[in-house]
Amino acid sequence: MEEARNVKAPHSEATPDKARASAKDTRNTGPGRLLIAVYAVFAISATARAGYQILTKFSEAPLAYLLSAFAALVYLVATVSLAKPGRTWFKVSVTAVLVELVGVVVVGALSVFDPVQFPHETVWSLFGRGYAFIPLLLPILGLVWLYRRRPGKQRNAA
Amino acid sequence: MDAYFYIILAVGLISTGICLVAGILKKAPNDVTILSVAAVELALVVYLVGSVIRVIGGEPIAGEAWEFWGYLVTAMLLPPAAVYWSILERTRWSNFVLAAVGVTALVMAARMNQIWY
Repeated sequence: MEEARNVKAPHSEATPDKARASAKDTRNTGPGRLLIAVYAVFAISATARAGYQILTKFSEAPLAYLLSAFAALVYLVATVSLAKPGRTWFKVSVTAVLVELVGVVVVGALSVFDPVQFPHETVWSLFGRGYAFIPLLLPILGLVWLYRRRPGKQRNAA
Repeated sequence: MDAYFYIILAVGLISTGICLVAGILKKAPNDVTILSVAAVELALVVYLVGSVIRVIGGEPIAGEAWEFWGYLVTAMLLPPAAVYWSILERTRWSNFVLAAVGVTALVMAARMNQIWY
């Protein structure tokens, strides 16, 4: 909320833990924590699901399952980058969330028009219907949050 | 859907409700919200113990066994993780994080039921 934010984060030791980071940066406190928590749940579930699909039935729909793995990776990157302070991580966050938005829209559309290649088994299929459309909502909320807490705008961040 | 699912459904929804209301009322995580999440964990422990007894008793799991146990173990990690996180930052937003546990647990319990039967 205030200028307690530390853009350069000079104290970043080997791995600054979350408590330390949250005291310095506004992006990962307050509502940001909720966002990170939801991303973390998706990262875990998408990773587990993609791992399961690739290990047990990869040949059935390679493209869909590779996309599953890609989605899992995007969620992991988004989770980590949202939790980290600093401008670089901010850019990583924006990129990850944008990729996620494009992914859910493109894969969602493809799964509607080409159900053979996309047998409705990725997180992003049918715009994330299997997950209560949270995959579609999440990147939009993520972008709104990142925009409101963008570097250089912290003094009057709402 | 079996009794285990309905227990988690009830406890999960109550916990989510309590935490949401606390968050909306701008309260920081307190005993009530944290205990409601602990109740979700307890319900999952009941599911775990019940499932172990059923497997020992010779009841088969229709789906992949390791997928079932994977879901159960992951679900059991969520409440402690959320509580730990809510203690690190005691703001109203942590109550929304706690609120997410109940719903997530109930979705995972539904999936576990599908795998079992």
